[in-house]
Amino acid sequence: MAECDAEWELCKENIQPLRQGRTISALHQALCQQQEGNQTALNQKKQAFESELRLYDGDDPLDVWVRYIKWTKQTFPQGGKESNLSVLLERAVTRFTADKKYHNDARYVELWIEFAQGIGTLQAALYIAWSEEHEKRGNLKMADSVFQDGVKCGAEPADKLHAFHRALQARVCRQMMSSMTDQQRDEDDDDEGPADPQRSSLAELKARGKKKAVVPINRVSASAGYARGLQFKQPLGPKQNSRLAIFDENKAETEPQEPKFEIWMAPPTARAKENEQKPEKWSNVKLPLKSRSGLSVTVPPPKPSFQPFVEEDDQPPTVTPCKINPAVNPVLSARKPCRPEQTPLKKLQERQQLMQLQTQEDGKSREQSMYCRELLDSGATEFCFEELRAERYWQKHTH
Amino acid sequence: MSKTLKGITLKGSAELVAEFFSFGINSILYQRGIYPAETFARVTQYDMSLHLTTDSKLKNYLTNVISQLKEWLFDCTVQKLVVVITCLETNEVLERWQFDIECDKTAKESGAPREKSIKAIQEEIRSVIRQITATVTFLPLLETACAFDLLIYTDKDLEVPEQWEESGPQLIDQSEEVRLRSFTTSIHKVNSIVAYKRTDSM
Repeated sequence: MAECDAEWELCKENIQPLRQGRTISALHQALCQQQEGNQTALNQKKQAFESELRLYDGDDPLDVWVRYIKWTKQTFPQGGKESNLSVLLERAVTRFTADKKYHNDARYVELWIEFAQGIGTLQAALYIAWSEEHEKRGNLKMADSVFQDGVKCGAEPADKLHAFHRALQARVCRQMMSSMTDQQRDEDDDDEGPADPQRSSLAELKARGKKKAVVPINRVSASAGYARGLQFKQPLGPKQNSRLAIFDENKAETEPQEPKFEIWMAPPTARAKENEQKPEKWSNVKLPLKSRSGLSVTVPPPKPSFQPFVEEDDQPPTVTPCKINPAVNPVLSARKPCRPEQTPLKKLQERQQLMQLQTQEDGKSREQSMYCRELLDSGATEFCFEELRAERYWQKHTH
Repeated sequence: MSKTLKGITLKGSAELVAEFFSFGINSILYQRGIYPAETFARVTQYDMSLHLTTDSKLKNYLTNVISQLKEWLFDCTVQKLVVVITCLETNEVLERWQFDIECDKTAKESGAPREKSIKAIQEEIRSVIRQITATVTFLPLLETACAFDLLIYTDKDLEVPEQWEESGPQLIDQSEEVRLRSFTTSIHKVNSIVAYKRTDSM
């Protein structure tokens, strides 16, 4: 170990600082191993994690991912492609999107933050969404301070941010006023019975009971046109209850869609990745024929085995039949309209379209894998049957 | 402290070591962001560019400490100097830079200069300060506002001056320790260790 002691100093340019620091022992080990080119230990550990991902049957599968990621971070001090960290994060993050249990798990959220890597910290949209989340939870103070943070960071576009901020302030005022009128109303009329004694938050103000005065409320949001998220643009029906409008998918079509805020339904697609082509079916893929203009004469392009889709209104331009007197000019004749699918480029395009169609159909899949496909590719790398089987075997024989 | 190759006396050694601490502590304060970077000025020392604070209060404090330290170094009664970095809010110790000082007490009696050139000593000091700078590669980010404190371990029978108070060692529980390079003037030997809190979050 002695000769490795100063290793970290010699390699300091190749060590990415971590927010939480590095364990020096792991750092030494990683650097020494790299120098010796000793990859087996690394691979073994990696393999162990991979198989644990697949064979874990406890009730906290996220734990394995978290440990795997932590280990990766400590073991690959220079980060980069070979650490596979970005893939790991992406897999881990997408893996549990549907799992309600983890939505507010601190570790999971940390993974997301790590994955996002400071994306959007200068975007007004982030602060707007963030603030709205606070507002929805009734934490108006936080909602306001988030906006102020956004302004401080100089998030762009600033005017959008300011517009939302004003809208928020207006909503807060409105809410306070309505809570005051609601109190009054409760004192005024009791014939409503126990209907709802509580003021429903974020709802439109109504003229209720004997009081007919309606506070003119839509000024700001209407002029700014930014009432999204909160349902201010709801048509004011007299029968409508003053509750927060709940989204009903059956009614959804009839109601005007409000401009939706872009939420990340899925993680952003990773750009600039290499070798990302997924395995696909090769059996009926044909090598596109190289039909240069010279060659196409000798090798006639094979007739496609399918009926190319032609738009109904996409008729080939009809050539007005012109009468040419064959006696006058026997050489020239009316040229037949060139069949579009004959040109090599068209052919290529069609072939690709067909392949896409096929893969789409495959995707819809009457295809059913009769093996545990999820297990094989549920980790960061792909496993083969034998690896999985071996793991099971060893597990059985060690217990 | 003329740059002759005559050797080094106890007094010169104490001065060299004290000077190292002055630059070393300033470097730590700058590198770890305990004080804002604007309050530091660049100076050239040991053939490299270092940062010294321009904050008058901090400057005063450090000069006081260093001059006191110099006395103790001359008396060979100091054992350790520790820079403790604590979280301002929770008072939790986050980082601890410990410099163990070994004094050769025989130098007090003999008084004969030792055979080691200043150049060679400064070369060693430079590599220690370089390492202090390089530690950012593995130290955790100090995310909260932090304060620092200086602890000096002396021999037990020493009278504590008025401005100084006694304190505990301020150790970190669950810490990670990294030994840095050491240097020696052949009278004083300084070993450096940095300890930092191990965190479990992602």
